[in-house]
Amino acid sequence: MKNVFSRNLSKKQVMSTDGMVIGTIRNIMIDLDTGNVESLVVRPEQGFDTGGYKVDGERLFIPFEAVRDIKDYIVVDRYLSKE
Amino acid sequence: MKTQITDLFGMDVYTDKAVRVGNVDDAVLNVDTKKVDFLAVGNLNPDLFQLKGFKGIRIPFRIIKSVGDVIIIRHFNSMFPSQGIED
Repeated sequence: MKNVFSRNLSKKQVMSTDGMVIGTIRNIMIDLDTGNVESLVVRPEQGFDTGGYKVDGERLFIPFEAVRDIKDYIVVDRYLSKE
Repeated sequence: MKTQITDLFGMDVYTDKAVRVGNVDDAVLNVDTKKVDFLAVGNLNPDLFQLKGFKGIRIPFRIIKSVGDVIIIRHFNSMFPSQGIED
């Protein structure tokens, strides 16, 4: 059981399980009816190859299922984070 | 309805008996269950709570009834003992 305050997540970097920094978290999408956390909204790093990811303009979406752990970084699964 | 979590911050929280509780400061996420467990509510209505050494309360997500321009939560008489509006 691990709880985090969402404001603690702001400005945290998102790292893939292959060690690549994807970007900085901008926001979190939630479903208000179910209370489920749907996805992370990430601003990709300069020069990051966003191929395979769900992208909308400057925003990159990572499904919350991909999140492995949250400490100093937000670590996401390299396969689950792609579409 | 999907929404950005930052859209909730600053929203007013009322009970379904139209009692103001406070403003949303933060949300508490559970990483394991991938759910929103609580909303942290600050700027509390001083008539409801004796604020001795704390600034806010955590409201379980399951007592939220609806979210629109404001957030409506269920009203518990035991939760708000100092209110004299109950019948």
